[in-house]
Amino acid sequence: MSVYTQGVIALMGVNILMALSVYAIVMADQVSLGNAGFMAIGAYTSAYLSVKLGIPIFPALLIGALAASFIGLLIGVPLLRLSGLYFVMGTFGFGEVVRTFFMVFEPTGGAYGFRGPVGATLPMIYGWVLVLIVLFWLLSRSRLGRSLDALRDDAEVASSIGLNVTLLKLGVFWLGSFTAGIAGGLYAHYMFYIESGNFHILVSAIAILCVILGGMYTFWGALLGGVIFSILPEVLRFMGGWRLSVYGSVLVLMMIFRPSGIISRQMVRNTGEWVGGIFRKASS
Amino acid sequence: MFLQQLVNGLTLGSTYSLLAIGFALVLGLLNMLNIAHGDVFMFGAFLGLSFAMLGMPLYLALILAMVGAGVVTIIIERLCFRPLRKSHFLMPLLSTIAFGIVLQNVATQIWGSEPVRYPQTTEIAQFQLGPVLVSSIDIIILATSILLMVGIDQFVKRTSFGRAMRATSEKPQTASLLGVNINWVIVFTFFASGALAGVAGVLTALVYSQITPFIGIRQGLIGMVAMVIGGVGNLRGAMIGGLMIGIIEIMNDAYFAAGYRDIILFGLFLAFIVFKPEGLFGTKEQ
Amino acid sequence: MLEIAHISKDFGGLKALKEITFHVKEKQIYGLIGPNGAGKTTLFNLITGFLPATHGSIQFLGNELTGLKAHKIAKLGIARTFQNIRLFGTMTVKENILVAQNIRARSGVTSLVQFFSSKERELQEKADDLLKRMGLWEKRKEQSLSLAYGEQRRLEIARALALEPRLLLLDEPAAGMNEAETEDLLGRISEIRNTGKAVFLIEHDMNVVMGICDYISVLNFGELIAEGTPDEIQASEAVIEAYLGREEE
Ligand SMILES: Nc1ncnc2c1ncn2[C@@H]1O[C@H](COP(=O)(O)OP(=O)(O)OP(=O)(O)O)[C@@H](O)[C@H]1O
Ligand SMILES: [Mg+2]
Repeated sequence: MSVYTQGVIALMGVNILMALSVYAIVMADQVSLGNAGFMAIGAYTSAYLSVKLGIPIFPALLIGALAASFIGLLIGVPLLRLSGLYFVMGTFGFGEVVRTFFMVFEPTGGAYGFRGPVGATLPMIYGWVLVLIVLFWLLSRSRLGRSLDALRDDAEVASSIGLNVTLLKLGVFWLGSFTAGIAGGLYAHYMFYIESGNFHILVSAIAILCVILGGMYTFWGALLGGVIFSILPEVLRFMGGWRLSVYGSVLVLMMIFRPSGIISRQMVRNTGEWVGGIFRKASS
Repeated sequence: MFLQQLVNGLTLGSTYSLLAIGFALVLGLLNMLNIAHGDVFMFGAFLGLSFAMLGMPLYLALILAMVGAGVVTIIIERLCFRPLRKSHFLMPLLSTIAFGIVLQNVATQIWGSEPVRYPQTTEIAQFQLGPVLVSSIDIIILATSILLMVGIDQFVKRTSFGRAMRATSEKPQTASLLGVNINWVIVFTFFASGALAGVAGVLTALVYSQITPFIGIRQGLIGMVAMVIGGVGNLRGAMIGGLMIGIIEIMNDAYFAAGYRDIILFGLFLAFIVFKPEGLFGTKEQ
Repeated sequence: MLEIAHISKDFGGLKALKEITFHVKEKQIYGLIGPNGAGKTTLFNLITGFLPATHGSIQFLGNELTGLKAHKIAKLGIARTFQNIRLFGTMTVKENILVAQNIRARSGVTSLVQFFSSKERELQEKADDLLKRMGLWEKRKEQSLSLAYGEQRRLEIARALALEPRLLLLDEPAAGMNEAETEDLLGRISEIRNTGKAVFLIEHDMNVVMGICDYISVLNFGELIAEGTPDEIQASEAVIEAYLGREEE
């Protein structure tokens, strides 16, 4: 495999994780435009730990993600009182604060960026992707997952059947910020060099687009979205200088013609039954 | 010294106000954000530059850039808002982010990604007013901005079309029953919003004297910050919010550290969203 | 078991409830009637923590409810339905029941890895049982919103029962039903009471509730204008006036 292809595949893994981090929060009917901020915290923290303190990559990633999710809890308490557009703007503000913070924060290089983290391999990145997919899959069929569905359908009714809506929202916000933190750590340790511009609002926006266009009612949508949005810019390379225009136009058109996303829950259910049917036939 | 900074702050702030008003117009009407607003600003700046290169006087370049930016915003309405009026509120927001990517790319293709110098079509004169040094550019910027702000404010307040705009933003169903053509109101509002961004772009380019296709991202976001601080969807709030942000930015650069400028502004924004989401002047139109 | 004392609720200038006081006893079917806009639903919203009371106290089995969050109140044993049916639309019929069991089940993070516990099997059986009792078994796999109107009403009641509440609040359960459906529903409500639960139900058509309620309160413009047994209510001048007054409008 060429280095180039490897790079595309590695970034695809990171994009999938970022999409899943948005999906986690979407499960509680909130859309975060600040996940690049959590990604940055995970990236800078883990990079600092492994480069400056010589901590091995796995614990460094984990501590980075825990730091991101700890900040997630802190900021989540006030932010989750907001709803709709205000929550979007609040998370956006958070993301920009984090980005501009790392632009001036000297210990991690400030405007010059931070150099040195290494060691993220493709199997490692996709190992994390797999772990999180299993987690989301288990969640989707658990009682906890159903509580989240209820919250998303009608938060008021959910509370009337005894569900602690605030706690649920905070929980998925934690999960989302943790996942973004992992994505950031892997990104840093794959790229060798990070700077604050890597965690721009566009990164958060693309992660949301993955979820919305992939299908926002199942984590399979986030997965598919992550794949599509990683491949699309590569496929469009032949367009040369106009590549980004075509990319942007494709997005605008997808929004017009497939606003409900590609994968629906019904599709997942039907496919599940279809696969189950094949297995049953095979075993009888 | 301080007075001088205040004047500089007001000048810069008035361009933010123009951007903030554009956000407030659209948000007040549809409760949605046009993230490509900053890129319309950039596009307006480049259009103004192109017209100036053709040797047009500033006022003409300004007007043409205004119309051009307004038309671009109408296209945004057509592609990113109208087809998505019934979908999730985030869809138009994301669609405009995508449209912003297109605008940046088109600008790069036309004008290149290197900073372009703005041609000097007007003589710059300096006036010493007591301790304050004011250039003719400052005066043009302040005068144009104030004129436009008062104009849009009075337009919304006094004209029948302005009343239709307010009716549509408050109760769209009732407004359409009363015979208001909602689509027209929306198209006009987007045009006005874009035109103001276009003017802001040209004026800002005059100050900084050079522009790139990527100046819109930050300026746009700062315009949104200004609107939120003034009060989401509140026109007068947006004007004052913009001026405040301009003053804070200049004061920070003069007396603190320029590097901390954005973290302070975005921090302020975050604090407002969390603790005072209605902004300084309330979200309701007075 | 439910003691409502001097409860008032203002919406801006509108006094939706004024100094309401009454008690619902164990195993009672208690009816609250009154014309449109009398404040009935508002009272339910206060009891279940959807809205804060302006003034007064509500006690349930010795616990003060005012100031508690809605989910805490549900855990104390109060379940409700809504005047305009509010089912979980993305879920199937059975899932609507299962999710309501979550306060009685292990529904935290541990539920991710609990597939075959005996407790889970028991809950599944309970859910099936409830579906059968409410006549929804055949429809268990359908999307909740694809059900017929009367079935949706029954599912909403079933969902409330899945909480295993001590007190069930029903907001106009017979609204929009024909006579046969209403008959059937009233039978089910009596059965629910026979399982030891108290039922507190709102109705604005007073003929519907006369047959099954043990005790009735009448609300008009936020004021309690009468209370008593169905016979007493039917004979009450004030009630007749309130209802006739309404007819004249
Ligand atoms: N959240 C609210 N905010 C403001 N006013 C409200 C609110 N909820 C109810 N009201 C008002 O309070 C009054 C009582 O309403 P409520 O819904 O309790 O009446 P109701 O007795 O249930 O009537 P119906 O038979 O029509 O259901 C009405 O005038 C209503 O408009
Ligand atoms: Mg009611």
